[in-house]
Amino acid sequence: MPNPIFKQNYFEIFSVPVSTALDLSQLKEKNHELQQQIHPDRFASSGDAEKREAMQITSLVNEAYNTLKVPVSRLQYMLTLKGVDMNGETDTSMDGAFLMQQMELREEIADVKSQADPLDVLDTMSRDLKNQAENLVLSFAEFYQQDELDKSREIVRKLQFINKAQKEVNDITEQLEDELI
Amino acid sequence: MALLQISEPGQSTKPHEHKFAIGIDLGTTNSLVASVRSGRPDTLPDENGEHLLPSVVQYKTDAVIVGSQAKNNQIEDSQNTISSIKRLMGRGIDELKNQFENLSDVLPYTFVQSDSVVPKIKTVVGDKTAVEISADILKALKKRGEQTLGDELEGAVITVPAYFDDAQRQATKDAATLAGINVLRLLNEPTAAAVAYGLDSGAEGIVAVYDLGGGTFDISIMQLKKGVFEVLSTGGDSALGGDDFDHAIAEWIIKQAAVKPADLSSGLLRLVLHEACKAKEALSDVEQVQINIEFTDNNWTGTLNRQQLNSLIDPLIKKTLLSCRRALRDANVEKDQVVDVVMVGGSTRALRVRENVAAFFEADLKVDIDPDRVVAIGAAIQANALVGNDSDGNLLLMDVLPLSLGIETMGGLSEKIISRNTPIPVSRAQEFTTYKDGQTAMALHVVQGERELVDDCRSLAKFELRGFPPHVAGAARIRVTFQVDADGLLSVSAKEETSGVEASVEVKPSYGLQDAEIEAMLKASMEFAGEDKDTRSLREQQVEADRVLEAIDSAMADDGEEMLSADEREKIQQVRSELAIARHNATETQELKDAMKKLEKVSAEYVARRMNASVQKSMAGHQVEEFNK
Repeated sequence: MPNPIFKQNYFEIFSVPVSTALDLSQLKEKNHELQQQIHPDRFASSGDAEKREAMQITSLVNEAYNTLKVPVSRLQYMLTLKGVDMNGETDTSMDGAFLMQQMELREEIADVKSQADPLDVLDTMSRDLKNQAENLVLSFAEFYQQDELDKSREIVRKLQFINKAQKEVNDITEQLEDELI
Repeated sequence: MALLQISEPGQSTKPHEHKFAIGIDLGTTNSLVASVRSGRPDTLPDENGEHLLPSVVQYKTDAVIVGSQAKNNQIEDSQNTISSIKRLMGRGIDELKNQFENLSDVLPYTFVQSDSVVPKIKTVVGDKTAVEISADILKALKKRGEQTLGDELEGAVITVPAYFDDAQRQATKDAATLAGINVLRLLNEPTAAAVAYGLDSGAEGIVAVYDLGGGTFDISIMQLKKGVFEVLSTGGDSALGGDDFDHAIAEWIIKQAAVKPADLSSGLLRLVLHEACKAKEALSDVEQVQINIEFTDNNWTGTLNRQQLNSLIDPLIKKTLLSCRRALRDANVEKDQVVDVVMVGGSTRALRVRENVAAFFEADLKVDIDPDRVVAIGAAIQANALVGNDSDGNLLLMDVLPLSLGIETMGGLSEKIISRNTPIPVSRAQEFTTYKDGQTAMALHVVQGERELVDDCRSLAKFELRGFPPHVAGAARIRVTFQVDADGLLSVSAKEETSGVEASVEVKPSYGLQDAEIEAMLKASMEFAGEDKDTRSLREQQVEADRVLEAIDSAMADDGEEMLSADEREKIQQVRSELAIARHNATETQELKDAMKKLEKVSAEYVARRMNASVQKSMAGHQVEEFNK
């Protein structure tokens, strides 16, 4: 019989409430408690079947932890709990103002090297993006509560855009720093 | 005699049995073995009191020499004396050429062309792979462990650089198999160091472990909390270490002396490297050193000062700092959150390294631990916990995948399946379909690395999946699961979802040994080790005899009085002491076997009575109704 943990959702695995505002230090603590019981190291002298089971359960718990740890994947996962699967979705409509704003930001990133203090500019961009992401998570919480799934979905899509921009900012920062060393 | 050991399923016959396990630091330059004895972890010395075993193997027609003696013979027998073999683990010939382009073909060995993808070094006793040479080092360490602990080993934890990829880890595990070692876990070196350091100091919070060894560099950002050691990120370079400092200095010497590298014999090259290393070490204490080398047609003398040394090694140190920055970013940690920077590896003794690392982290460094021994000690602590000796039982090591895993897609691009710094074990599934009618097989090329193009990543293996039921093109749903275990090793399985048929998977490692090659090596090592084999089998029988003695003693203590008459008891006791004497004095396996057989015969009746009693007892615990059902 498969271990009952395979039937639990990711929030249940760590006994935390389904919420956008997850307490990350609590999540970490729960993860440590759980890993103390299930990690393959606990089964180093057990039989092969138990070892395999420990590896599979720990893989699941790690996957759950990773998903909940990061806002965008946590939100997306919360949508799957309401039956919305965003993988491979074709409807990608998005409000025009947001798209415009994103395009402008991308252009700024591409031009940043010509600025006098590119690292400062990148720092500011990074902070702005973080703020935007936090605000989006807040409004997601409202829509999700009211079962406004289409609007919740659009927010996740916006977050995905912001994450990509954040990654670009990080990559360029890294490049510039490398050149300075 | 097995019948004597009656116990509940899943329970050990000896509940408080102490099992022996060792930790092995298989280093580029030096290796160590450590163990926890009476609750204290320490490295084990050889008979001369030396803890470090130089990772050097000399092959002679009549013997394999490992350690300092081999190191001393390096210059005179450079072709058959192999050092720094760790740098070749899990690598292909073409890669090595790139790695050592600076001193074109500096390795003073002869590589042979063969069908295998694994490079082989020509020696007087035949062609040797890196796995076989490493196995010889591991055998020496295992022997030291067994001799010191005087008991059969349960297994070993072997450390690897955190930045080792799948092929390098697999090669290390293969070497252990070849050495007859049960690998409890492959443990990342910085994690091992953090365990030894953290348990010793009681430090908590975020710690950076900077580990610069002879041939590898690792940086790990970790969180320490109440016995939990969680790796947040790791980075490094599995081909950068103190050896490269030596190479940079050697190149400088060769340039200064105006000799052509091509004119150097392998022995002379070894000598230059040796002098370079000596100069590097001396410059930690003095401002400048004089170097004197007798080349074939000129006797060269020169002076190297600290400033010159710094300019030679600074570019290498900078590379390590780049990795540090990336690791901090991946861990989402700012420099000022790092409470301690733990320095590990012999090359962190270099002043210049310490200066630069301290400046980078803007922090004081922890250099009070022995950088050579800390990794082996950490490995021993984990080995001890893994075999169940850790009474508190709350030591937990959570590690990550060092490099992203990807599969080759159209156009030679790598599609990431599992990204770097994901906690392990981890599994990911991906669905594929067929593109031809009736297709029953497919191949996946798995690579490791961060770059977009497959050619810029390391090729790990081709997985050939066979045995799908035929479908029309696009109708099959093949779910491929990539599983990375707690050792950081990848396995692949596949299932066709519509039919539920499990595919057979054949692995073709790009730079690793095929299973058949390992088997052949195992066989060869047994054939050539005739004497070894005899010692080993005697040793095995001694362990068996210990088991038998312990079993009979514990049985007699349990119920000898009630189940046996005084006469019977005396007879068993007498044969028992014969076996005890043979256990210590017998030089032939057969002698010991005979003594055991005799005891078995004389106690056969006793065993039968005990079995009966045990069955009755277990039935007595149940209700009668259960048996009537």
